[in-house]
This record gives sequence, C-alpha cells and structure tokens, in this order.
Amino acid sequence: MITPTLHSSPGPATEAGKRFWVKNKDGFPNLLPQIFYQLCLGLSLLTTVVLAEDAPFRPEAGKFPPLEKAHSYRGELIFVDHANRRGSIRVQGSGMFFRNDPHPFAMLPYGVVRYHGAPADLRDIPLGTVMHVHAFLPPDPKTSSVPVLPIDSGKQDANHNRGAGIFPAENHVLLLEDEPSHCQRLGLTWKLKEVQIKSHAGMIIATRQPKKGDDAKATEEPMTFDAATRIWRGRECLSVEELIAEGAWPAEGKKGLNGQSVLLGITWKPTADGIFTRFHISDIWLNETATQRAALNQTETHKAFIRSRWMAAWIDAVEYGKFGRATITATLFGGMDPSLYTDFTKGSPALMNPVANTLKHTHGAYGPAHMASKGPIQDVIKLPGEAPLGSSGIQIRFETDLIIEGIRPTRIVRVRPASWPQAQVPREEYLNDNLEERFPSPTIFPKY
Amino acid sequence: MSHPTLQHSTNPSLRWITVLCLGLLLFAASARAEENVFRPEAGRFPPLEKAHAYRGELVFVDHANRRGSLRIESKGIFRFTSPSPFAMLPYGIVRHHGAPADLRDIPLGTLLHVRAYLPPDPKTSAVPVLPVNNRTKTNHGGLGTAPAENHVLLLEDEPSHCLREGLTWKLQEVEIKNHEGTITATREPKQGGNSKASEETLTFDAATCVWRGREHLRIEHLITEGIWPAEGKKALNGQSVLLGLTWKPTPGGVFTRFHVSDIWLDDEAMQNAAHHQIETHKAFMRARWLPAWIDAVEYGKFGRATITATLFGGMDASLYADFKPGTAALMNGVENTLKHTEGGTAGPTQMAARGKLLDVIKTPGNVPLGSSGIQIRFETDLITEGMRPTRIVKIRPASWPDLHLPREEYIGQGSIDERFPTPDIFPNY
Repeated sequence: MITPTLHSSPGPATEAGKRFWVKNKDGFPNLLPQIFYQLCLGLSLLTTVVLAEDAPFRPEAGKFPPLEKAHSYRGELIFVDHANRRGSIRVQGSGMFFRNDPHPFAMLPYGVVRYHGAPADLRDIPLGTVMHVHAFLPPDPKTSSVPVLPIDSGKQDANHNRGAGIFPAENHVLLLEDEPSHCQRLGLTWKLKEVQIKSHAGMIIATRQPKKGDDAKATEEPMTFDAATRIWRGRECLSVEELIAEGAWPAEGKKGLNGQSVLLGITWKPTADGIFTRFHISDIWLNETATQRAALNQTETHKAFIRSRWMAAWIDAVEYGKFGRATITATLFGGMDPSLYTDFTKGSPALMNPVANTLKHTHGAYGPAHMASKGPIQDVIKLPGEAPLGSSGIQIRFETDLIIEGIRPTRIVRVRPASWPQAQVPREEYLNDNLEERFPSPTIFPKY
Repeated sequence: MSHPTLQHSTNPSLRWITVLCLGLLLFAASARAEENVFRPEAGRFPPLEKAHAYRGELVFVDHANRRGSLRIESKGIFRFTSPSPFAMLPYGIVRHHGAPADLRDIPLGTLLHVRAYLPPDPKTSAVPVLPVNNRTKTNHGGLGTAPAENHVLLLEDEPSHCLREGLTWKLQEVEIKNHEGTITATREPKQGGNSKASEETLTFDAATCVWRGREHLRIEHLITEGIWPAEGKKALNGQSVLLGLTWKPTPGGVFTRFHVSDIWLDDEAMQNAAHHQIETHKAFMRARWLPAWIDAVEYGKFGRATITATLFGGMDASLYADFKPGTAALMNGVENTLKHTEGGTAGPTQMAARGKLLDVIKTPGNVPLGSSGIQIRFETDLITEGMRPTRIVKIRPASWPDLHLPREEYIGQGSIDERFPTPDIFPNY
C-alpha cells in the first residue's frame, strides 16, 4: 500500500516521492521503495546529464552552421583522399607535436578550402602544409566517412606527452585554410623581428598581428627556414641565397628585420634539440603584388576545377508540377570566385545532378551531363543579409522536366550553366553502384 | 595380350587420363612461364631494361608507406581508367623537377613516367598483386591500364624524364582564347632534331605557370609582352622548352589529352626549380637518414660486427659526401617501406647501432639505377637482427641532426599492419 507521509517537506520532487512512502504490515516504513524512488531520481538526473551531453551542437541538414559554434584548431596536413573530400591532420596540442597521430577529418559538403588566399580543392594543398581548421561534430555519425570519436575526446589528455586537444571529435570541417589565407581573412600580417642564419638555413623570429596598428600582446614565434624556402617578390621567385647576395639577409649571424611585414607559408618539419613544436617557413611573400599573384594562380586553378566538376548547392524547396516537371530552389555553396557565380544568369539553360555528401557525382561512367536534369534558370536571387560561411548567399530557381529522387529539400546537388564545358570526370570522382563509394568507410585511416 | 590401338582412345577412362595428362602438361608449362617471369631479387638491383615502362597521372599518395595510385595512359578513354596502385621498391627513385624527391613532393594530378617490376615478394606486397599477364588485358577499351608490374624503380615527372633522356619539347603552335587554349608540340632530342617526332596537342589555361629565369609569369604576361597573341593562332617556330604535364577532364569527346601546368622557358628557370627540389629533398634525407642494404656482416665478439652496406642512389651528391672514413655514424633496421622500426616514439637515434665508418668505397663499373655505387664499411658494437645481408637499413653520419620522426613514419608497438601495410586501403572500382 502506498501512503503519503506527513513529515515530508514540500516541493515537487518530495511530493512525488511521497507517493513511494509505504508501510509494512507492522506499521513501520519500508525503506526499499524509498531506495527505489531515490534510484529513479538518480537515474532521471543521469538521463538529464546524458541528454545535456547529447545536446552539443551538430550541423543540421539544410542549415549552414554558424562559424562561432565551430571548434577551431590547427595542424599539419598529412594525408589526402581528395576524391572523398577527407584527409588527416596532425593537430597542434600542448605536447610533443611529432608524437601526434594523424587525425582524420572530412569536409562538410559546403566546407570551404582556401590556399594562398584563394578558393581551393584538397588536392591543391601540398602535404605538410599547416592548416587552420574550423570544424563541427559529425552531422550524422552513422554516415561519417571518418572515425566518430567521443564528444569530449578533444579535452582528453592523449598521454605519451602529446597533451590534450589532438583528437577533437569535431572533425567535420567548415573552413580549412592555410596560413596566408587565414591572415588575409582576419586582416593579420607577420612582422619579422630577426633572422639568424648559417649555411642558408636558420631561424626567424616573428609576430602575427593585425595589419593595421600594432599589437603589443603579440607573442614572438621562432620558426625555421632553410635553403628550400621560397621568397616571392613581385613576379620573382627567389631563394635565401639570393636574399644574401642582395645584402637583404646576412650570410651568417643575426640581423634585425625591424618588423618587416610579410605573409608566410607555414609547414612542419622534424625539430632538433628536444623542441616540442616549432613550425617551418616554406614561403615568404614580401609584398602585395607577390601575394596577389599567388592568389590569382590558385583562383584560376580552382575556377577550371569547378567548371569541370560543377558548382555545389543544396535544395531549399521543390514545387512539383505535372509529368515529372518541377521548379527547384537551391542555394549555391560559397567560397568560390565571383566570376563563377556570375555565370548563373536568369533565363540561361543549366544542368543539375544530385551528388553524395562527398560531392561525388552519382551517375556513373557516362559522365554527369548524361543523366542530368536540364532546364532554364528562372531566377537568381541574392539573399538578404550577410551570407553565412559555406553559403554564397545566392539562390537559384531552376525549372526541369526531370525531377528525380536525389533532388529533394536538404539534399546536395551540383549545377552547371550550360555555357560551362561538358567535361567528363575521372573514375574516382563518380559513383557506380558500389555502397562503399557512396559511403566511404572510415577504415582507410590507420590506427596508430 | 591386348595392344593399344587408336580404338582404345574411345575408352572413357583412357580418354580422361589423356585429358588429365594434357592438363597437367599445360599447367606445368604455365607454371614454368610463371617461374620465368622476372622479379627483383633481394640484394640485387634489377636492370632497368627489364622494367615495364608506362606513364600515368598521380591520383593518390600514401607517402608514409611509399605507395600510391596512378591512372595509367592507354589507347582507351583515359577518364574511365581506375587508379592503379603502385609501391616504391626500397631503392626506388622519385624525381620531380629534375631533382630527387619524395612522394609527398609530387602534386596530385602530375603526369609521371614509371619503370616498374612485378612484386619481388607477392606475400608482403603493400599493393594488390595482379595476375602476371595483367598488362595484356583490356579494361574499358584501355589496354594495360592495370599492369602487374606495380613495384616501381623509377618514378619521374615530365621535366625529370626529359632531362634524364636529353629531350626537349619544341613548341610548334599556340591557339588561344580567354587566356586558355591548346599548344601543339613535339618531344624530341635536345641535340639534333627528330623528324619522326609526332605532334602532340596539349591544353593550357590561365593557371599555367610560365617560368623565365627567376620570374614566375602567367599566360596573360606572355600576351602583354606580345609573345603570345590574345586570341587566335600563332606559330612558335619550334621554341625549345620543358613542360610540366598534368591531366584535366577533357571536353569534346577527346579520349586522352594532357594539360600543361608549367612551362620552363630557359635553363636558368629549370635550374631554379631543380635547386628548390634538391634543397627540399636534402633536408628530408638528413631528417630521415639515407637508405641502404646490407651486403655482408662480419660478426665479432660481444655484439660487435663490421657491416658492409650499399647506399641507395638518386640523392644529391652532397649527401653522399657526408659519409667519410673515420667519422661516426648510426644505423637502424627499417622496413621495405623505409619506415624506421627501432626506437618508436623515442626516435630513431635511441636504439640505433652506433659506430664508425671504416671505409667508403666506390664500386667499380656501371652503377645500376637504384644504387649510389657507394659502399660503406661500418663497425658497431650493437649488431641487431635487422642488419643481415639483403635487409634494408637507414644510416646517418653523426653530423646530421638528431631529429624525431612524426608518428606515421615509424613502427610503434609491432603492429603487423604498420609493418606490412595492407593493400585493402585501395578501393576496388
């Protein structure tokens, strides 16, 4: 028999607990039900904690995740599987950098890669480049193409003097950018303080700080360089040896560089003298002309790439018509050169194909144009407000007489204006009828 | 007594025996053919002329295990061709921009010339082992796009290939519109010409890099300077250049057409590119140590031994010059992938066999590709299992820096997959 007791203190939890006060046949309270109640309460609290743990932010289909909710880190690019838009990065932590295992990452479908201050594909980034990363938890752990880690793994000490933060669960990347791209986006510059040199190799001490004004708090960072470091000045590509010949740097010893403002390309090489983490300078851009030329070269590479692979987008809405007709509203993904977006003009014909989240075309060996939904672009709409990272801020309305399963709200597609060349993509960049091609297995990544 | 007659062949048992014998004979012949195929042997550099030669686009790289994939050129449709896995032989040489390189230095998409053999030991191949006659098979109209010869002695990009063979590209004509178009050119000997050289059509675009002395130009600069037209055709009169070649998807139903990523207009420009690559590779080798194999071990007492080893070839001469008689050195056993096996996270120096270089010997005669032609004699008081004749080692003079390698470049706690990387990493298309 369950009877409420009189000595219970008020309060919703206690009131609920009253119902579990029972007396045995001798009139003494039976403690078992009370323990049962407390157990229930404990379990419910535990559930709440678990739910809170489940609550961490994950990107949702059809919504660009806010950059400020991303986990940011940086590391060295170790491995690239460009066809599946994934790779591995040695993440910088508090411990010995060289001991850190390569950490797998996957680009989100709308994830942006930038190299030399310009849009890029993963294949453009040389192995060894130090990249800045803004990443999220896997949107859907079931279909992640990289290993799914415990949510708090980024906070765990990885032991073996590797420190914490080298295996973040946030391995689905919104923004992956090299050092010059990072500096240009944030208005930063490297100010060179001093060079120390012997046999064309040595150390530079520099601070990264805002381009405008000075930052007294900027900490000095020593970085190595060697005879393979390239120095870009206007249209010239120089070696350290040539800077010495010109008298800009000494052949041996130290020289103050008076805060000379440059951009740096940063990589990592094994470090001597028991140094935990020290980065290496692969490139120095001495002036704006040199920086712009590098960006222009990368921009042209990427423009040709996107024209042959088509522009990625997602479907916002589908208005179904009759006999397979439909009008599709889609948002073009961001981070491309503006000239690519200007090719989407009202009234011009276009082609659209559903693609996998890896942006792989899904229509086999015939090439993406063969089975594409064709039709005119009815409208090109500039969305109001500032476009979130990942979005171009441009919507298109596209009418086709071949609406298919892959073209549904939140699904990823690729679109090309008919004026772009009809090029056929290579074998590893399209799906045939293989499940592994559609959902690449994370087992490709070795476990160290 | 019965005599065998022709009629006996109609006896079902005898007929089966005949068929069985014939089958066994054929099997034996095929097994002999299999035995006759050339495979590199441990401790011998295979002759270049026995290599199978092909070229293809670098599509995938697993630099830590010295392997990758190439899309191999054939008469078929290039884009249909699935990437074909390859592994570098321990003494295999990579060259980029006319200089020694590591796989990590080659940009994806680069067109590479390959000289390769059957797997020396199919049981431990890090890439899929294919039927010996696979290069005679056709796939999607392409003959030989997945040769069984996937263990590489020489992997070189276009300028390296031309420089090694004394070839040059002679530009015949450019056709251009909007900073992109096609070039027709012939690859022929630098000295003298070759009237038989066939013209090849190659694409270029606004991202093509043009190198002139220390200058890095684009197509638009050539137009501004009046060297190339802004639009239309212009004869280039056999201008001699070196080209960097890649592949990009081709419109217009073209089966195979390559793309010009770089044009080196003069020797100075090419030398600058080579200089950069040499310096990159020198720093790389000093950090990873020079590979070699063991020719002989003379065992002494209490773990002492004198080891004779041949240094592998293809490096910059200045690296070999650091091996001097009387100087201190360190030696470690490594895997066929050249991964260090000793020391783990503590670094290769920790467990290395230390000692002195007793002698540095220039071996007589022609040096086969893969070898430096330099033998060292090294005395140590820590002879280990990994240092036996034909086994692969890495050595550094003590004057090279004591560096710790990144995690993926050494074998940790004896993981079998680290020691013998599985070919399963490569997708089946």
